[in-house]
Amino acid sequence: MLDWIGEGALAPTDEERFGSLALDLFSYQYRHNSAYQRLCEAYGVEPGMVRSWKEIPAVPTGAFKEARLATFPEEQEVRTFRTSGSTTDLRGELHLDTLDLYEASLLATLSAYVCPEGNPIRFAVLAPSGAEVPDSSLSHMFDVAVRALGTPESRFYVSAEGWDPEGLLGDLRHAQEPVALVGTTFALVHLLDLLASRGSSIVLPEGSRVMETGGFKGRSREVSREELHSSIEKRLGVSRARIVNQYGMCELASQFYESTLRTGSPTATKCVPPWVRTRVVDPGTLDEVPQGSVGILVHYDLANTGSVVAVQTSDLGCWVGDGFEVVGRAPDAEARGCSVAADLLLGAR
Amino acid sequence: MSDLEALRTSGAALDEARIVAGLERALSLWRDPDSTVRARLRAEHPVFSAPVLDLGCDLGLRGWTGPALSALRARELPERCRVPEVTAVWLAGCIPTAAFGALLYPLLAGSAVYAKTSSADPVSARLFRDSVSCVDPVLGEAIRIGEDPKVLEQADAVVVHGQDETVAALRARVPIDRIFVGYGHRLSVAAIGSEMDVEEAARLLALDVALYDGRGCLSPSYVLVENRPPGRAEALARALAAELERLATELPRGSLEAGEEAWVHDRRARAAVREGTKLFSPSSSTAWTVILELPESRPAPGTLRTVPLIPISGSEALGPWCEGLSPHVSSLGQGGWGPRASRLAGIVARGGGSRVCPLGRMQLPPIDWHHDGTGPLSAMIRRVDVEDAQEEST
Repeated sequence: MLDWIGEGALAPTDEERFGSLALDLFSYQYRHNSAYQRLCEAYGVEPGMVRSWKEIPAVPTGAFKEARLATFPEEQEVRTFRTSGSTTDLRGELHLDTLDLYEASLLATLSAYVCPEGNPIRFAVLAPSGAEVPDSSLSHMFDVAVRALGTPESRFYVSAEGWDPEGLLGDLRHAQEPVALVGTTFALVHLLDLLASRGSSIVLPEGSRVMETGGFKGRSREVSREELHSSIEKRLGVSRARIVNQYGMCELASQFYESTLRTGSPTATKCVPPWVRTRVVDPGTLDEVPQGSVGILVHYDLANTGSVVAVQTSDLGCWVGDGFEVVGRAPDAEARGCSVAADLLLGAR
Repeated sequence: MSDLEALRTSGAALDEARIVAGLERALSLWRDPDSTVRARLRAEHPVFSAPVLDLGCDLGLRGWTGPALSALRARELPERCRVPEVTAVWLAGCIPTAAFGALLYPLLAGSAVYAKTSSADPVSARLFRDSVSCVDPVLGEAIRIGEDPKVLEQADAVVVHGQDETVAALRARVPIDRIFVGYGHRLSVAAIGSEMDVEEAARLLALDVALYDGRGCLSPSYVLVENRPPGRAEALARALAAELERLATELPRGSLEAGEEAWVHDRRARAAVREGTKLFSPSSSTAWTVILELPESRPAPGTLRTVPLIPISGSEALGPWCEGLSPHVSSLGQGGWGPRASRLAGIVARGGGSRVCPLGRMQLPPIDWHHDGTGPLSAMIRRVDVEDAQEEST
């Protein structure tokens, strides 16, 4: 897998290679991941019955909150990433026995879609560092990005004490070289709101770029992609052709980016790395929907060696050309009923 | 004249006999499977299948008769009381008979009704209004469907159904001198003792689960089963699975939205990866799911014909279990407890509940049930006491 990832995120796709590795990995995970084996047995599926990677049982993200989905014993664990949530919430967990694949995958895609020039760049990170939040996969990603692709001026502007808007604005105003302003969508909105409240704006040096990720789930304020990108253009002087959205999730080792920076044309289509496949499926039957139709996204990530290769999301999307677009999140199940919302209740688990 | 003033006038023109007669005739239309309103409900309701809607009306409205309406009025409306001229009703959920009741109660008390339908079901309340207008146009004039939030400030009484947050938010908008009745978060529990035949329990329970697809606050979100002798809970899970499979054809579930389908898959997977749980479900659809949980466990509640079934050691486990849901319990559907059934009212009350009913009737509350423990009409009125001076002097 490391060799394949080493060929880069832009290497040609290889169906045979993917299919063969995916089936091997599924077979391995079935044998060594007892929680996953229970799920497969409940679904009446075992490796001998699976002829194509598309038949590998996908694990809905909620299951990562219920059981340790890992192929190795706890003593071999080097890192656990957790989904966001309060201390009382059940949180999904991705257990890792090695960071090599995780980091190789994230660097391959991030360098291809956020730093395609191949030069070190100054990262201004609107998120806490991995030292602040060791169980955040996003913080770890930014740590790795800064370490591998950043200049010495790169800095994190969010910490346990909060964020440092004055430090960030000062640094951005005085920057002479291109900056990669990266962080959560919501943190970026805070920055833009602050600039708007002061009636001020910045023009980042030519060659700068913005990478935002995470969306607005659970936040009190949401803005549309159009509004966000327009505000970035206006307040930070970064054109839409240099704004990239990243789509990722704690349960996956790999991430997905828009090709905007590579092509110079803004797009909402996410590119799928060669070692990953994404299917858009009917939420009821789990059959693939026709191109352009909306369904839920299921990802098959060969970099997920230590957990499960197939992860079923609650994200709605559609297949467009060679990639997919995320169109939203499936609404809560309780929305149309009058019974109590399931996860609101007490200590329910 | 504003909408609300016109509505106020409409309500004031009604007398008891006319109200009861009109509602009785409207309800008889709803009990008639061949009536136009029933046909429209089957065609237009956005959530449930036609067989579910038909069975819900057939069984649910069976006791909603003229004499029952009169008896409820007699029970809850004293001679001296103030009845609101206009009651605003904010609806939630998608269960037709619940919407009918929410409109019917203020009308029966003598109040005109301004109703805001729920986003999930804009149909049932309108059809109920149409059915009343069809039998008595003047009575029909006393029902207005709309969504003007100003009504919250102008109505004499406000009845809100919905999530706790919704109830709290709307309560804050209603002037302090108005009557406010809030029906918030609730769920129901089925509890099956060892004295009930497993097949019979499964048949009745499946009806409670399938009717309205587990979407209502009266649907069993949990099934607690006395696991005596050991293995009985699993036997019930298997029997319930077989019954739900049968009902998937006879009483098909309505279609689910994408998020709901995803929720069922998620719920199944969460159960499947846990050690010790057993999952029963059809492989090719999300039509139903039975999850046999670990004894005494407390999983997330079920809905959409997905049922967690929890083995318990005996009736003594029911109290703490229901108390853990307090104050959200609505009803307890029960069977098989023999003489121990007499303790169930106290147990359900510890969870905040106010109703114990036989298994198979969870979705079928009588017209005079004390919704969340209060009388459906008395909650909306204000009594006037006249004290006797002679008695006081003695």
